[in-house]
Amino acid sequence: MKHNKFSYKLGQFLMFAGPAGILFCAVVIIPFFYGLYLTFTSWDGVSKTKPFVGFDNYKAAFADTAYWQALGRTVVYSVIAVILVNIVAFLLAYLVTSGIKGQNFFRAGFFIPNLIGGIVLGYVWKFVFNRAFVAIGEAMTGQTTPSLLSTPNGAMFCLILVSVWQYAGYMMLIYVAGFMSVDQSLKEAAMIDGCSPSKAMWNVTIPLMRSSFVQCLFLSTTRCFMVYDLNLSLTKGEPFNSSVMAAMHVYNQAFVYKNYGIGQSEALVLFVICAVIGVLQVYIGKKGEVEA
Amino acid sequence: MGMSWKRMGAIAISSLLAIGMLSACGTSSSSNETKITIFNSKMEIQSQMEEMAKKYSEEKGVDLEVYYSSDTVAAHLATKYASNEPYTISMVDAKDVYSLAEEHAVDLSDQDWVKETDQAIAIDGKTYGFPVSVEARGLIYNADAIKKVTGKDFNPEDYETLDSFKELIQELKDGGMETPTGIMKEDWSLAAHFLAEVYEEQPDPSAFIKELHDGGVDLNSNAKYNSLMDTFDVLKANNYAASTAISAEREVTEQKLAEGQIAFMFGGNWDWSVLNQYDYSENMGIMPVPEDTDDGSNQKLVGGGSKFFFIDNSSNTSDAQRTAAKDFLNWLVNDDEGKSFIVNDCSMVSPFKNNTLTVADPLGASVKEYADAGKLIPSYNYMPDDHYSVLGAEMQKYLAGEVDRAELAQAIEAYWKSATLSDDTK
Repeated sequence: MKHNKFSYKLGQFLMFAGPAGILFCAVVIIPFFYGLYLTFTSWDGVSKTKPFVGFDNYKAAFADTAYWQALGRTVVYSVIAVILVNIVAFLLAYLVTSGIKGQNFFRAGFFIPNLIGGIVLGYVWKFVFNRAFVAIGEAMTGQTTPSLLSTPNGAMFCLILVSVWQYAGYMMLIYVAGFMSVDQSLKEAAMIDGCSPSKAMWNVTIPLMRSSFVQCLFLSTTRCFMVYDLNLSLTKGEPFNSSVMAAMHVYNQAFVYKNYGIGQSEALVLFVICAVIGVLQVYIGKKGEVEA
Repeated sequence: MGMSWKRMGAIAISSLLAIGMLSACGTSSSSNETKITIFNSKMEIQSQMEEMAKKYSEEKGVDLEVYYSSDTVAAHLATKYASNEPYTISMVDAKDVYSLAEEHAVDLSDQDWVKETDQAIAIDGKTYGFPVSVEARGLIYNADAIKKVTGKDFNPEDYETLDSFKELIQELKDGGMETPTGIMKEDWSLAAHFLAEVYEEQPDPSAFIKELHDGGVDLNSNAKYNSLMDTFDVLKANNYAASTAISAEREVTEQKLAEGQIAFMFGGNWDWSVLNQYDYSENMGIMPVPEDTDDGSNQKLVGGGSKFFFIDNSSNTSDAQRTAAKDFLNWLVNDDEGKSFIVNDCSMVSPFKNNTLTVADPLGASVKEYADAGKLIPSYNYMPDDHYSVLGAEMQKYLAGEVDRAELAQAIEAYWKSATLSDDTK
């Protein structure tokens, strides 16, 4: 059998990529295009008929002020959370690669929050904010302390805090890998040339870790933009629907308010925004990558 | 040389895995027993339902399975219908019967139980919804806690007007109960239950809502809106969690009520399932919301049939399953065990006249009393789906003191002007 025949190559390809390809099609590609089709119907989610309405859903989505508010809120949340997650993750990674005592224990410890699902994590923190912090506040000030979750800004703060707590450990692992991949000899060479440790960090280590930054920023941005589970269990959109993020609004629109078509078109808009941000950021990040 | 055995094996295993994963999505059951599935949307009776299902399955030779989801009912059923796996019997809210029944439900008009109840839901003369229980809303009181402070027996009929209610509140405060009320901050409680009474206590709720939609109602000068909000203000001012009203947890509020640290909370007889988790007082009950009005609404609770079963009519359900499902509904109405299941096990108020068992829980007993006396104002079942969420947020703002009554009225009017009314209201 010739190894460069098309049928042979196809066979080889299907053998390795076929099963995964079929699954990927079944759970991602087909639903995506079916969803695209649904955006042109006024389906309510359960009805047997799916009347075709053209671009009405997109018009409704663009006119849905609550959606744009939620999207704006998501942008604010994502920007702050992404910056904080990465700063904290970087510092933690620096800490646990600097050779302190018990650093493997700390690595595991910082990573563990990421193993708890968003829903459970949300409920645990809700208890902490609503009961524990309130009790501490009352004990310290001697008067009733409102929970942080009861004001719009407080709820946003809580969401960001918990996200940072959840994702920092995960991103830390990527930064740890980045730190390890930078050859010690390069840093030493810089030090011999007269760099201070902080200069060596800034001018040698960080540029060589650029791919870790690109990965972490990409992962944390997309995760923050699509946040739903934490949003649901920690604030549920309260108080006064002021902490409803884009994904939650899309879910409510589609399933709770039974405007499936509008919800689906809003989801598509969210997808496009995420895709553009993600691709742009990876493109810009990769462009300036350097190798030792 | 063809493919080696190793490679063949790899292909076989990987495709098996893929097929296995795919088929895991579908369901395959092959048993001789008829299997029927019930979707239960009342979290508080899930364990009772499961126990009953086990017993029922053994006795009747039907495989009965009960499922619960904390999702919104409509959202959960939407996913089941989308995956062609509807439940044989689904427990839904009244509004879902109206939106789902004509396409998805079996006509139950020929069933014997129809004449035993006033609460079944019929659309165009066909009965689709089997009422599971009667539920009503009002002000839940803890009579023992009140008596402990005032030293007198609490008689709810003495406090129909807001003025008399205020006097009682004052008396309680003077007696040492500093904050005699609690308010649930949940959007469904504030908007779907309390605010809804503004519409429901109008002479013609449908017409009133249509007028709201057309922009012809000035809520600020509406007597019902004002009298109910006056009462709400009293509840709000005496709330044990006044400064933290919108982070007060339902469980804490109900615990305080059950244990008598507060005396009043707006709610319904479903709250018993939460209250009875605590060290509750013996004499509790539900009374009409006190109001300064003379239209008689302050002598009645608001409510009616709540939670309805419907049977799926799609080709995913076989006729044998449908027959078994109808048998099950009949069992609930006519069999002594079924009757006792509703009343004793689930402590619900039965909507069926032939079910004369006494309700053990005090809130249910109050509801039964008002229902038997014909003192129930029907709930309005055609609310748009986003009503509770959008106006729930506005009510929360009012509760938190962020907006005043006029601004709340404005928000309500604005909501209704842009709302899509259900076909039944138009």
